[in-house]
Amino acid sequence: MNLKEKIEKHLLKVQKPSRYIGGEVGSIIKDKSKVDVRFAFCFPDTYDIGMSHIGMKILYSLTNQRENYWCERCFAPDIDFEKIMRENDIPLYALESLDPIRDFDFIGFTMQYELSYTNVLNMLDLAGIPVFAKDRTQELTQIVVAGGPCVCNPEPLADFFDLFILGEGEEVNLELLDLYNAMKKQGAGRREFLVKAAQIEGIYVPSLYSFDYNEDGAIRSMTVTENAPQTVKKRIIRDMDKVFYPENFVVPFTEIVHDRVSVEVLRGCIRGCRFCQAGFIYRPFREKSPDTIYNETKCLCENTGYDEVSLASLSTSDHSEIDEMLTKLIDYTAEERVNLSLPSLRVDNFSESLLEKIKKVRKSGLTFAAEAGTQRLRDVINKNVSEEEIMSTCKIAFAGGYSSVKLYFMMGLPTETDEDIIGIAELAQRILDLYYATENRPKGRSPQISVSCATFVPKPFTPFQFEPQDTRAEIERKQKLLLDSVKSKKIKVSYHDPNVSLLEAVLAKGDRRLCKVIYAAWQRGCKFDSWSEHYKFDTWMEAFEDCGVDPGFYANRRFEFDEILPWDHLDYLVDKKFFIRENMTAHKSVTTPNCRQRCSGCGVNKAVGRECFCKD
Amino acid sequence: MQRLRAVFEKTGRAKYISHLDLNRCMLRIFRRSKLPVWYTEGFNPHPYYSFALALSLGFESSCEIMDFNITDDEMSAEEIRDRLNAVMPEGMRIVSVAPQVKKITAIARAEFSFSLISESADELYRAVQELLAAPEICVEKKTKKGIKTVDIKPDMEVLDCQLNGAAVDMKMRLPAGTQTNYNPTLFFEALKNASDIRFDARNIRRLRILCENNDIFY
Repeated sequence: MNLKEKIEKHLLKVQKPSRYIGGEVGSIIKDKSKVDVRFAFCFPDTYDIGMSHIGMKILYSLTNQRENYWCERCFAPDIDFEKIMRENDIPLYALESLDPIRDFDFIGFTMQYELSYTNVLNMLDLAGIPVFAKDRTQELTQIVVAGGPCVCNPEPLADFFDLFILGEGEEVNLELLDLYNAMKKQGAGRREFLVKAAQIEGIYVPSLYSFDYNEDGAIRSMTVTENAPQTVKKRIIRDMDKVFYPENFVVPFTEIVHDRVSVEVLRGCIRGCRFCQAGFIYRPFREKSPDTIYNETKCLCENTGYDEVSLASLSTSDHSEIDEMLTKLIDYTAEERVNLSLPSLRVDNFSESLLEKIKKVRKSGLTFAAEAGTQRLRDVINKNVSEEEIMSTCKIAFAGGYSSVKLYFMMGLPTETDEDIIGIAELAQRILDLYYATENRPKGRSPQISVSCATFVPKPFTPFQFEPQDTRAEIERKQKLLLDSVKSKKIKVSYHDPNVSLLEAVLAKGDRRLCKVIYAAWQRGCKFDSWSEHYKFDTWMEAFEDCGVDPGFYANRRFEFDEILPWDHLDYLVDKKFFIRENMTAHKSVTTPNCRQRCSGCGVNKAVGRECFCKD
Repeated sequence: MQRLRAVFEKTGRAKYISHLDLNRCMLRIFRRSKLPVWYTEGFNPHPYYSFALALSLGFESSCEIMDFNITDDEMSAEEIRDRLNAVMPEGMRIVSVAPQVKKITAIARAEFSFSLISESADELYRAVQELLAAPEICVEKKTKKGIKTVDIKPDMEVLDCQLNGAAVDMKMRLPAGTQTNYNPTLFFEALKNASDIRFDARNIRRLRILCENNDIFY
């Protein structure tokens, strides 16, 4: 019985079987006898989530443009199908060929969030590939690689991967595949290839680097072998109007999280919120022109048949030609009966005619990421949104028929006091009061203010990378304080599980000593840690204890400015000195203007060799 | 405006597209085809199309029925068929497009074929024969009003039943349409209740949709 028959024998016993059999419109099938390099693009979560990932769509199409390379998709099976796979010896396979991924040249994971780490181990195991890089074959095949935002600190994953790809993959991925293809033809071995690959800018081969530690646990020094670079620099694309963007997406049958065309409008962010990793690791700020955005939107809508499009970026309002871009897009989408879903936009500087057009398309709710409850703390984190702005937008929205507002906050931010927590409740109350004070508010409807409170997780490559996370006990106390401070039933409060945030902090800021903890946790059954119904906090804590690793050392300790950080040998083009400066400015409650107002000297312009807001 | 009826196949991997997903899938097919399909005129305009019968997840079919309207009166049925087929997913294919003649309510029954695979196919074959010879075949059926026991025998017409190696291959007609709908799984349930022999039902396929007088509906 071939693998396809074996899969089909069991497929009707599982939830949403179309996730496991391929055949979607837009999926790319090649003749494998004419293919030199096979790449399994793995997303370490279920199909429904992974298929929404824009990076996979880009790199899938890009790799497949090369006739002799074949990139296929692979996702983590849900619990029900995994059980069937294990019971019936069905190895993890790719969705295009339905061939086992253990036979592929590359097994590439995208690391989007820390809580997907155990899924990587589980998927390798399901594939029949040794989980530890050192246990893999000496031959040149089965190269396990990773990219994505989490690899800016890949140390907790160092033992499981052969190499990491830092930064944007559109160019370096093909360079890597070209090198592999050439060396395979020469009959090179695995080690030889890895040593050579380490010379490509953006490629980090962890086995060529080793660390030793001080008695207090901090890193003492790093040793580099085989002539690998002392620091590995991330890759960036210089011109967003020339960068590859897919003309087609794989269109799933089952409904996925983001079931629509999404078009990237810009990379990077000018805001510099001090907690936000994405705001720093994707620098420099680069935009696509309105023409490019329009052409990509039209092409994708026509080829996929989607009737909805959304714009992807960290802050679409910061596009310098937003007015022209939206005018163009709205004219097209209205004509073609496509829904344009717009993210939260700052509407203050739009023309009258554009505002009229936007009114026709906007249907989504009203959301503010205020992040902190008082202006003082918003200044500390450099979230430059003022209460006046929130109030004036709410007033317009209430008069325009909105009756519910969502507010996002973080708890446990540096310098936070009880006053800041109470401030969250007070801000929500003032918005509620404003609703009742608005004369032309919607009649006969009950207002609702939703307050969603996440726990602050310090992340590498941010000014807050040095900061400790609040202990669980402290977070729980603050959550209770917030609940006690809310006086109205119209204000609904929800918050994250602090046990989850703790693990996120540990994995985000961890070093190589965490590899054995991740392995131990997975061995004890941890997987799908980002799914609350699967998260096993106690099991994780047992794994830490067994391995003699203290999670508090990573999560709740202040990292010193002069300490060697686990990610210091990786260069994301922003200076460590800048992060230190920003950290000190934060503690003085002083804000830093956005990049368009004034360059704050993060160093990215020097690293790239051009100023941020000029075309070269 | 042309009021049209398409007959389409849903085979191979397309059998894993659920009825709900088929709706979404068809919307995208119409959009990709750029055919001048008629849109509803409500608050949220969308292409109008409707399926005559739902098909269970995992069933194949040679005869799915979809009604839709095309605003261009000059466009030929062949062109419409070809433009749809050019943008269909693997396993889905339009067999024919023609004007709607009969009303959907004219559907009376559907013909199915399937294989019952078993390690003891000989015994299973005997069990099937015994079940078919019984005076009634009672099985629990989920309805809108809850679970009730029905005797499917009077409305079930077996056209073929053969032992082929490890499989019992069958073909039967069952009521379908707006009044009564029997799914072959009711027969499988009855067989499981009547005998202990383990089997797997495979290759379930809807072959034809018929009117009361057994004329082909489309």
